[in-house]
Amino acid sequence: MRNRKAINTNNEDITNILPEECISYILSLTSPADVCRSKLVSPVFRSAADSDTIWGKFLPSDYYDIISNASSSSSSKLLTSSMSKTQLYFHLCKNPIIIDNGTMSFGLDKATGKKCYMLGARRLSISWANTPRYWRWKRVPESRFSEVAELKEVWWLDVKGTIETKILSPNTPYVAYLVYKFSSSRYGFEKKPVDLHVELGESDAGRTFRIFLDPSANIPQFSREREDGWMEVKLGEFFNEHGDDGKATCSLREVDNYTPKKGLIIEGIDIRPKDSR
Amino acid sequence: MSEVDMAVIKPEMMKSYIWLQTADGSIQQVEQEVAMFCPMICHEVIQKGMGSSKNYAISLPQRVNPAMLSLILDYCRFHQVPGRSNKERKSFDEKFIRMDTKRLCELTSAADSLQLKPLVDLTSRALARIIEGKSPEEIREIFHLPDDLTEEEKLEPLKNTTDDPRIRLLNRLYAKKRKELKERQKLKNIEVEEERVDDRSVDDLLSFINGDNGDSKGIKNSKSKKKNRRRKDQQKNTSANEAIKNHNKEPNGLNQVCHSAEVGQKVRAGVGATSNLHDVEDDIFDNKNELDDGDIDDEIDPALKEKIDREVEDFARRLNSDWPERMQEILSFGHERKPVHFSLNGNGSLRRYANSEQR
Repeated sequence: MRNRKAINTNNEDITNILPEECISYILSLTSPADVCRSKLVSPVFRSAADSDTIWGKFLPSDYYDIISNASSSSSSKLLTSSMSKTQLYFHLCKNPIIIDNGTMSFGLDKATGKKCYMLGARRLSISWANTPRYWRWKRVPESRFSEVAELKEVWWLDVKGTIETKILSPNTPYVAYLVYKFSSSRYGFEKKPVDLHVELGESDAGRTFRIFLDPSANIPQFSREREDGWMEVKLGEFFNEHGDDGKATCSLREVDNYTPKKGLIIEGIDIRPKDSR
Repeated sequence: MSEVDMAVIKPEMMKSYIWLQTADGSIQQVEQEVAMFCPMICHEVIQKGMGSSKNYAISLPQRVNPAMLSLILDYCRFHQVPGRSNKERKSFDEKFIRMDTKRLCELTSAADSLQLKPLVDLTSRALARIIEGKSPEEIREIFHLPDDLTEEEKLEPLKNTTDDPRIRLLNRLYAKKRKELKERQKLKNIEVEEERVDDRSVDDLLSFINGDNGDSKGIKNSKSKKKNRRRKDQQKNTSANEAIKNHNKEPNGLNQVCHSAEVGQKVRAGVGATSNLHDVEDDIFDNKNELDDGDIDDEIDPALKEKIDREVEDFARRLNSDWPERMQEILSFGHERKPVHFSLNGNGSLRRYANSEQR
């Protein structure tokens, strides 16, 4: 590591006034995004920004418990136990780990350090999902989970996922997305709009949006492609204050019972802080 | 007034003072309750009995100049009064930190050296608010910093100080592939005598990897670093083979990654050094090899060799199919300066990687 501290004799330069530990402490009071930016300021800032005390602070306070819960079939457990806090932070931002018996994934939002979860399809309540005539469960390499749900054909489409607000980061606005793709034989989603809904706790009526999941030309497209190759559509948002609001419920439904639908492949529901990515 | 006179003065005027000396040599006396608010001064007085007179003035750390001391004492003087409300304190703090950035830094530094945590927090938060949301150029301007990061450093903000086990295994895989290429080219160069030496080295390796420290002495002792990379690559590959063979209980490719990484940990533990795994491997292989060439695998029973090869292929296949995109992430996370060294050019790129790690 090249040491350039000695060369700079500028009297005004704060890196001559403040020891590196103090700079690290000051940086730890900013945000992950600020610390990453500060690495481009000067060599001393760069060095100060790599301190474990900073990134240890940005990790969620219960990160250790969460990681310990990681499914043993993934390599994440071994890797995360041998990493420094700095490495662990960045690792979790890029590589969500699978927890809770393979039903959920956990990661961090890089700019804020807040928790992100994806509920796997197996964890959702999908009506008729266990009837092979209507839904099929299959393994696809591009999914982080061991199984995704593929819609063969159904009239009553009701997909619902819930998450306990107490596992989310406090004082954070969250957005829920359905993560899906269409198979080549899709049908029905261009004919009928679906209802997207999110509500918080017992007493919240929530908000519902109605959109076409597979819009024809001239109709607005609300879905967008994700980095991992799947599509996502926003189901709704909610604000998690102290984590004591019970569960957030997110759903996608099309239940008028007149239109058959086919060809929807669901990976899960992604819940992450607003304005992340 | 002399100190003796002070002793007979009326009780109301009997105040204790603590003597402090700053780095520039100047000495002053400060009311005891104010000075004792600083943990460092408190420690000097109580543990070392200093500060009671001019001759025993407490030497303050270098970072505390008279101007900073004055500010700090103002802070202490206000806050050490017990009766103040939180609102009053907050209001005082807000006014107190209104100063230019440079003074704020000096004050943070001085307070830090005196271990006055509440003041360190106050000033640090103020500086954090200044830094938040600013671009690097803006920050440099505010703190009068020169722009002296190299282009390379600017492009690579992440420092990778880890020996990522996945990257090690990746390298072993590539080493294996390189070995195969060379094998096809150089089948004729095997010398019979060398086989015997190889035999021992393989056994030693096996027992070493299995954590049998007794046998490892022979391996540990040699420090000769031969330059024959090809040999090293081949033997590194063997080590990988052995590692995978020894831990092939679960067919899951990801698990093998874990176990091979565990083996890596074991080998490191066995040597007892802090060098990374590449160093260890270099030592082991160099010791056992004074040869030019040597196809080590010829020593192993052909059936076993086939089994090992199959397992490595299997592992490679699983690794690639399970982690197509994650592989890219591993590579970028691993902070490679020269992505070219992951290509199969067979020019000892493995070694180049090892060197950058050892830096």
